[in-house]
Amino acid sequence: MTDFHPQVKQLLDGELTLADLPAALRPEGVEALRLLAAVDREPVALPSTLDARVLAAVRARAARPSLWRRFLAPREIRVRLRPWTLVPALAAAAALVLFLSSPARTPTASTVTVRFVLFAPDAQQVSLAGTFNQWDPAATPLVRTGSPGVWSATLILPAGQHQYAFVVDGARWVADPGAPAVDDGFGRRNSVLSL
Amino acid sequence: MDRLGARAAAPDGDVVRAVLAGDAERYAELVQRYRDRYARYAARMLGSPDAAEDAVQDAFIRAYDQLAQCRDPDNFAGWFFLILRNRCFAERRRTKREAVADVSQDELPGPGRADRDAERSETQQLLARGVSELTAEQREVFVLKHVEGLSYGEIAERLGTSVPSLKMRMHRAYDRLREQLRDRA
Repeated sequence: MTDFHPQVKQLLDGELTLADLPAALRPEGVEALRLLAAVDREPVALPSTLDARVLAAVRARAARPSLWRRFLAPREIRVRLRPWTLVPALAAAAALVLFLSSPARTPTASTVTVRFVLFAPDAQQVSLAGTFNQWDPAATPLVRTGSPGVWSATLILPAGQHQYAFVVDGARWVADPGAPAVDDGFGRRNSVLSL
Repeated sequence: MDRLGARAAAPDGDVVRAVLAGDAERYAELVQRYRDRYARYAARMLGSPDAAEDAVQDAFIRAYDQLAQCRDPDNFAGWFFLILRNRCFAERRRTKREAVADVSQDELPGPGRADRDAERSETQQLLARGVSELTAEQREVFVLKHVEGLSYGEIAERLGTSVPSLKMRMHRAYDRLREQLRDRA
């Protein structure tokens, strides 16, 4: 048995002192404090060249037309329907993204209502993770629609470029086959949505 | 730590709004303000200062690309931290299947590696190895509480989670570290 006693964990959490522990637990408390004393809290300084590299990337982006400024201007909301496309990896899963103006809410000039739809007949749950929800797979669940196997979620998103992926059954990250995709740098493909 | 002197007085929100209005050069203020603040977190999460440097650089560029989505410009720091955190977790997922890291090179702050190794106590090295083998979630709460010195309440606010769930994660980490240290002692 190697678990610390609950009171020793309180000691480690800073909620108790060694003197608060019963005498029988003090040796274990000393062992626990020795563990914390070994924590390396030395600051980490990054090289100053990092600033220059970031700024070079920022300047390169600033030299291009700014997506967010381009799309902040008032504009007509377009309706675009993507055809469903089979996803081999999902064996008959397909997806479409439908852009539409919301009849219930009035999007501002800088927001657009977007409906995300995934056809995943074998899925038990589907969610959406992307730049708009900090890639949190739990933040935006899709719900089953009236059509069998079809899941959807409707979001109001700020104009600009967003990256996203569907998360099927909490584990499988699936790019939208009906949208362009980019490498996320970590071995996955992210779908790209430009509003 | 204020690296910017008088210019650092500009609130984050003012800088973010200026960048969004087209003054890209002012993004340098945010980089200088937060580059080192989160470097230690990234280094402890990823196991090396080199990996931390890549992660912080990438997070800053991503943050610039997504700056229009920063809903609370006055809390740029919290928003940026979440981007860096996601980058660190993604990196850990990416390297998970790779060979077990050479922990003798883990948790090192940069130059003087050999000297520093010599100075580190055996317990420190064992603990560093143990921390590197915690789950990403356990490691994060351990780093934020015991390296960065945040309270459970502050961590919960930063990560958008509850104190009880953080404590559960941390207490499992304590047990796992004890087990690892005993096995290797």
